[in-house]
Amino acid sequence: MTEGHPTQAFWPGMVRAFLWAFLFAIGVLVVYPLLWMALGGFKSNSEIFDSPFSLPGSWSLTNYVAAWHATQGYLFSSLLVTVVSTVTTVLISAWAAFGLTRTEVPGKPLLVGFILGGMMLSPTVALVPLVRMLQSLGIYDTHAALILLYTAFRVPFTTFLIRAYMLDLPRDLDEAAMMDGATPGQIFRKIILPLCQPILISCVVLHILFAWNEYLFAMIFTNSASVQTLPVGLTSMMSKQGTNYAALFAAMTISALPIVIIFFLTQRYFIRGLTEGIGK
Amino acid sequence: MRLHMPGLTAVVALAASLGWTGGAIAQTTVADPAAPVEYSGNLKVLTKFGTQRLQPYFVEIAKAYEAAHPGVTVELIQEDDDSVKGKTKTLVASNAIPDVFFSWTGTWGGNFVRGKRAVDLTPVIGPDTEWGKTLAPAAVGAFVYDGKYYGIPLYLDAKFMGYNKAIFAEVGIEVPKDLDGLLAACDKLKAAGYTPIAIGNKEPWVAVHYLGQLLAYNVPKDVLEADFDPATATYSDPGYVAALDQFRQIADRCTVGADMNGISYQAALQELSDGKAAMYYQEIIEFDNSANPSTKLKPEEFGFFRLPAPAGAKGDPNALEGAPEGYMISAASPNVPLALDFMKFVTTPENGKVLSAPPYGQPSAVIGGADPATMNPAVVGGLEDLAKASYLIQWLDTVNHPKVAAAWLSNLQAFAGGSMSAEDVVAQVQAAAEAAK
Amino acid sequence: MRGARSSRLQNALPGIWALRWIAIAIGIVGWFVYYPIVNNFLVSTTNQDIFTGEVTNVGLDNYRRLASDPVIGTALFNNSMYAVLSVVFQVFAAFWLAAIIEGLKSERWRSIWRAVYFIPSAISTTVTGLLFYFIYQPNVGILDGLLTHFRLEHLSRVWLGDPQTAIYAIVAMSQWQGFGYSTLLFSVAIQKIPQELYDAARMDGAGPLRQLISITLPLTREMTGMMIIVTVTGAFQVFNEVMVMTAGGPNNSTQVLGTWLYEQGFNQNDMGYAAAIGSLIFAITMLCGVAQLWYTRRRRVLA
Repeated sequence: MTEGHPTQAFWPGMVRAFLWAFLFAIGVLVVYPLLWMALGGFKSNSEIFDSPFSLPGSWSLTNYVAAWHATQGYLFSSLLVTVVSTVTTVLISAWAAFGLTRTEVPGKPLLVGFILGGMMLSPTVALVPLVRMLQSLGIYDTHAALILLYTAFRVPFTTFLIRAYMLDLPRDLDEAAMMDGATPGQIFRKIILPLCQPILISCVVLHILFAWNEYLFAMIFTNSASVQTLPVGLTSMMSKQGTNYAALFAAMTISALPIVIIFFLTQRYFIRGLTEGIGK
Repeated sequence: MRLHMPGLTAVVALAASLGWTGGAIAQTTVADPAAPVEYSGNLKVLTKFGTQRLQPYFVEIAKAYEAAHPGVTVELIQEDDDSVKGKTKTLVASNAIPDVFFSWTGTWGGNFVRGKRAVDLTPVIGPDTEWGKTLAPAAVGAFVYDGKYYGIPLYLDAKFMGYNKAIFAEVGIEVPKDLDGLLAACDKLKAAGYTPIAIGNKEPWVAVHYLGQLLAYNVPKDVLEADFDPATATYSDPGYVAALDQFRQIADRCTVGADMNGISYQAALQELSDGKAAMYYQEIIEFDNSANPSTKLKPEEFGFFRLPAPAGAKGDPNALEGAPEGYMISAASPNVPLALDFMKFVTTPENGKVLSAPPYGQPSAVIGGADPATMNPAVVGGLEDLAKASYLIQWLDTVNHPKVAAAWLSNLQAFAGGSMSAEDVVAQVQAAAEAAK
Repeated sequence: MRGARSSRLQNALPGIWALRWIAIAIGIVGWFVYYPIVNNFLVSTTNQDIFTGEVTNVGLDNYRRLASDPVIGTALFNNSMYAVLSVVFQVFAAFWLAAIIEGLKSERWRSIWRAVYFIPSAISTTVTGLLFYFIYQPNVGILDGLLTHFRLEHLSRVWLGDPQTAIYAIVAMSQWQGFGYSTLLFSVAIQKIPQELYDAARMDGAGPLRQLISITLPLTREMTGMMIIVTVTGAFQVFNEVMVMTAGGPNNSTQVLGTWLYEQGFNQNDMGYAAAIGSLIFAITMLCGVAQLWYTRRRRVLA
């Protein structure tokens, strides 16, 4: 049965027209600034100042090419940090969720509280002590620092999502496997993990969204251009380019595009994972 | 296995991270002129030349140095005027100060000296040393703390009103001789449809620079110097309120007024280069930015004059706002002799000449490092004018204690926006000085 | 091999061996998340000079200063106002938007709208902050351009430079960015409601509005409750948007707790006071967290 989707028209005629106009208006509100930004990258800088709203007179690629070169280092850092931290976060959280739902761990409520309680702890509060800590660990200004921090601060939320999903998985498969002498490790790998695919995909997408766009830690804990990620690189470019808005727009578009594309590609799985995971 | 390894590493690292060593060094490191230079390793340099125009300077120098000394890599961290402040603070907080780092004079540099983070360079750059003799004495002297030399000056800087000669001629005005003359000129320019003075105070130090110059005109030098030290500060001289009122007059009659807080200084500078505004208050090091072959305002049409002093001012009408800017060596650097050698290379007369000429236009502090033949005539003129000043008053936000600097920055922004009175601004600054004691 | 050892341990202390699954999670969260929070309290009782590295104990001085600092009042106001406006737009408005979308017949259009509205949420706050900084620029920005086009120039302001409008300008940007995400979540929640309920209501003659109010609204209450708490908690942790657009200015009028913490700790070299501000943020987010826990527990009992 299809949940919650109208078989007949939900909205009556007149209202429907009005609502469609409303949806389109909001759509324009969302898309226009982004288009303005993307198109601005094709213009020359003086064009932006003289005629900010017209289409580019000549579609020049110079800004985009320059932006591509300028942001390459940042793109690489962002890619590295995002991919590695996504793997570590989802893996560690999946292990933890499995441990909390499918094994005989002692003191479960306490452990659950500990891990999920981490969600309430704000990164801003941890900032000052983390500066000293990372520095004495010798990983200040490295990719490793960001990967560690992103993982640590996202494990609570990711565990929360995966655990909620695992709680509702039926136990019969587990039990059957245990009868056959499978170890918990095998149960995890062969049964639970594949069943969790939807929520895992959602967690992956959510973490990518977080890590790719994270600014605070990247700004404070990295210095060298070789280590800095895109958001920090962009603000650095902003102060360096001064009033060369066209170049900035091109760089901004380049940094926003990958994520938008990833979202569109994984949209369906992402929503499915949320649908099956939430509402528990 | 999995349980033990992370556990062990964690305990060790935890113990290490709990230690509050904080990188405090017990004694000041002193440069050793006899130390041999080892030409190998990595040298980190924090510069203030991050903008498009200035970036190539250090990049070229680094390349040349690396070519001459294979085995040495020079890593540049280039920030611009604004971001270098935040970047430096973050680096200090994380004990990651680069080997060579940019510093202003005054309290800014003094912080590093106080924290024993900067190397005492007296034995290598003092007035009697070989190196010291190649640099302008006043410039080196600006980096003296407790009688010792801590900084290597790179270039000189002072604040002037840049103007568009063509617009002045068109509207029929002369370079104003005093403040009232300036205000009258502004009225004429406004009537003719030009923005008299372009100003962008989104970065609040812009208004602070105006005020610094006005304070030098309105408050006697010794009173100012006493007030710069929180221990002896009183901020009771009537010149403070007088200077603020004069700034208000300039803001109201010559600029966009309260709107200035939403415009960035770079956008304002562009107004001058685009020929939309007649004047822009700027530093010598920005002259080549305002007028060069690629801007609408051509170098021949660019002129400058000091911010005119009010008639009958109680301070010093011949004082000029400005200071040299330079670099310090980090005491935590593993290779101080190499860092010094690099800076010696940076301050050779040849490199000085490159720095003084367009496109950089930063008048070098090296004696013989400024060749009028290659330089922008405005920059040459600015340097001559600088030499005639009775004394140089430094930027308020670097000469003052950080709390007082912050008080000036944010309260002046409110004052510029019209939401605060002059007396309140002074009261706030005084309170900040109290808190900083 | 591994099986033999694990079955031995498993027989002896099944629970303890199972700890290996959560060991890393506990370790990494405890060390990087919990420990710094505790440490933060310690730091807040000191005065630290980042240049000399000296640490002096000052007891509760920093907290006394918190109580008398006028900027804290501004920051708390800004954070609270952020929270209120965010709840209005990202909970209530998002719900109605989701309801409208889910009421459409074509699945294709439903996913188009959900996806389009989500795009701003996928983009980093840095990019949107910069984008809106340009939009708000006098003369060159879209906003002033629009006002001029509609002959409404007199409404034009220096949006980010005027203390009266600056924080609202930032909040507006934040809503533009976040509403798509909330709408998506509400869509998901609304989809779970069985169609039969609507059909039955329609039989009884209820119009669409009636159906929304008596069916959709109550059945998404759990999601609504969660969204309110998440939004409020997020509002008190705001940092990026403000930092990129105004850095807390002009004249500290747009400071929020997060940016004031950064300003004190990193620009004014006062780590102790920054840590005290951190403790304040912690207390507030803790309160929200407890509220969330209490709320979900209550729901579970009732459900």
